[in-house]
Amino acid sequence: MRVEYINPFVEATFSILKEVLNTKVERGELYLKPTSHPVLGVAAIVGLAGDVEGRVLFDMARETAISIASIMNGEELTEFDELGKATIAELANMITAQAVTKLHDLGFRFDLTPPALITGINMEVSSPNVEALIVPVTLPQGKLEINVAIRERA
Amino acid sequence: MSAVDTEVQKEGSHRPDEGREKIDFKMITFSLGGREYGIDIMKVKEISKIDRFTYVPNGSPFLRGVYNLRGEIIPIIDFRIMFHLPLKPIEAGKAENVLILNTEDQVMGVIVDSIDKVIGVSSQRVKPAHPLFHDINVQYLKGIIEYGSSLYIVLDVDRILGIAEERQAERPAAAAEAPAVAAGLEAPAFAPSGEEESADTLELGFIRDTLSAFRGFVVSDLNLDWVKARLGEWRDLRSSEGRGVQLAEPNEADDFLEPFYSPYTGELWGEAYAREIEELLPDVSGGTLSAWNPGCGKGYESYSFAALLDRHYHGKRIKVWANDNDLLGISMAPTLAFHEEAIPPLLAPFVVKTRNGFGFKQELKDSILFEYHDILHPNPFPEVDLVLARDILSFFNPVQQQALVQLFRSKLRVGGILFIGSNERLVDSGWREVRKGGVCGFERLADEEPSNKEQVT
Amino acid sequence: MIAKVDYQNVNDRKPDGLKTDGTPYRVLVVDDSMFVVKQIGQILTSEGFEIVGTAVDGSEALEKYKELHPNVDLVTMDITMPKVDGVTALEQILAFDKEARIIMISALGKQDLVKKALMIGAKNYIVKPLDRKKVLERVVQCLK
Repeated sequence: MRVEYINPFVEATFSILKEVLNTKVERGELYLKPTSHPVLGVAAIVGLAGDVEGRVLFDMARETAISIASIMNGEELTEFDELGKATIAELANMITAQAVTKLHDLGFRFDLTPPALITGINMEVSSPNVEALIVPVTLPQGKLEINVAIRERA
Repeated sequence: MSAVDTEVQKEGSHRPDEGREKIDFKMITFSLGGREYGIDIMKVKEISKIDRFTYVPNGSPFLRGVYNLRGEIIPIIDFRIMFHLPLKPIEAGKAENVLILNTEDQVMGVIVDSIDKVIGVSSQRVKPAHPLFHDINVQYLKGIIEYGSSLYIVLDVDRILGIAEERQAERPAAAAEAPAVAAGLEAPAFAPSGEEESADTLELGFIRDTLSAFRGFVVSDLNLDWVKARLGEWRDLRSSEGRGVQLAEPNEADDFLEPFYSPYTGELWGEAYAREIEELLPDVSGGTLSAWNPGCGKGYESYSFAALLDRHYHGKRIKVWANDNDLLGISMAPTLAFHEEAIPPLLAPFVVKTRNGFGFKQELKDSILFEYHDILHPNPFPEVDLVLARDILSFFNPVQQQALVQLFRSKLRVGGILFIGSNERLVDSGWREVRKGGVCGFERLADEEPSNKEQVT
Repeated sequence: MIAKVDYQNVNDRKPDGLKTDGTPYRVLVVDDSMFVVKQIGQILTSEGFEIVGTAVDGSEALEKYKELHPNVDLVTMDITMPKVDGVTALEQILAFDKEARIIMISALGKQDLVKKALMIGAKNYIVKPLDRKKVLERVVQCLK
């Protein structure tokens, strides 16, 4: 992934999570993965287009998703229902959008698509021929992985 | 364990009135230095093929290193070294046969030549070992047993591993101990086949292991000539200091490797070197010249290369894809800054003064795309005219090296040139070495029919 | 779906959501996220606004606006939506009613899309995550 794109995603993740959850957010070391990977239980995906094509995927366990959604809604959710899903999708949207805004300031033109949310066990999500940058995040609510797979439009 | 056959000795078939003997001892058999041995299967947790250990400095010579077995860090012991048995040269990247043993308080891996099968016998049939007749000290043996037409020496695992721990605990902390031990192992008793080179091969083996463990440097056909020559120099240098050849810590590996790196590693290129590279640049038709620079590090070679390409192919649009999997290093590349004294003639036309000293003009920066990328992952880059991959192949194991050379080949157009490290050599059909002066490049030849297959190293 | 909340007059300040005649401002909330609709709803109804309708995409937004018109005082419009996006819907609603008061709600900041919306005729924009104070300030300013 292009070096200049990395910080905006990392910073947006941090900034939005802190603001929205009002909690301690710890970042693990960034690393690269060949893109196919199983979903931890809940994945929110935002598509990217413009100077690049690809997607950002937010990957977490169901319990973590429920915890986060509960905080964001100011009420305890007991299951991962429609409201919970909409909440996590919106979180993904906010983080991606803030990253895209920062990139815009740097001169890069990115567009984003509305978020999609998928749940399941051992699902594989893959974009052919694109490796992914992983930003691991640890919250009191559990682990979250931001998975960015984008390819320059030549 | 499914990979190993299990046999049960059929007892008493010719002595019906005595009844069957009880099968109360099962052992897994393996070979070690040409002989057959066995270990109580209750002590064996699993068997494995392992090709990569983490070397532990100041370990006993028989302690080849440690290994991460699904989260548990276990020591890996080489029985052949421990018992001074004949040992084939250790090849980097080659998987070793390992028995994972479970004793009362320890899990350990043990390297053997090959693992055979599981046999079931009656413990009554295990005879005491005679002190004089075996390669291994009798205190380590439970006994011997005849099975079929073979004689198996049964090892006492608890004893052996107990002694191993004792020996390891006795080791003094000083690194100076290492050469003495290495010297001890170089003694002729170690080479039953009478090979003159055995001491050399053993030294080379240790250098291989330590370079790999400390710096991820893999010794292979790609750089073996250089390593051997360097080993000779190193031996002389060290003996003049009264030290042995062994590399005891990462700094020493760095010292050993220092002359390996290509000219101007981590620096902007000087004019003479740039000219030599320039001589090998191919003709390119079309308005764009594209190049791939994997392993670019902080970007010094990328900027140098881009500047050279711009000079040589004036008028053409230059595109350089530079990547590295060291995030910290490459993240500084797009904004690389430096001081006046450090600007060589090649780059002078592209330099501008900035707040922090000097940087590169936007047009040069725009010609390079820096990406954080692992070259073993799917590759998004289109076909290129040039590949600049200095000193990176040596940091991959032979299987990966093969795959990478193949990748370079698939990305390069016919007639394109691959530059690798000054001390690396490509041994592969499908490339033609081109050399002018000190630098050599490899021209990508056209694909031929099946005969142009990769050789397996 | 959004309950009307009975606000308490704990001080003399008039709740932001009430007009001078005491009736509430009527709001159409357009967003494809159930969560955002809920959030905006909570913020606005706690100040006396009345949510008269919601829509999940731009085409539904236009439909609902036409249906409810002239009983809509304000539209909150999300920019990124499936089918018809917020900027297109903005254009279409303004074409139908040039007096329409529309405020863009977006996770995108100083982006081309936001600028474009403002140029087309959106009154203002609010960036997500939604901050209650900021939302109310901008909405009130929009309604002047």
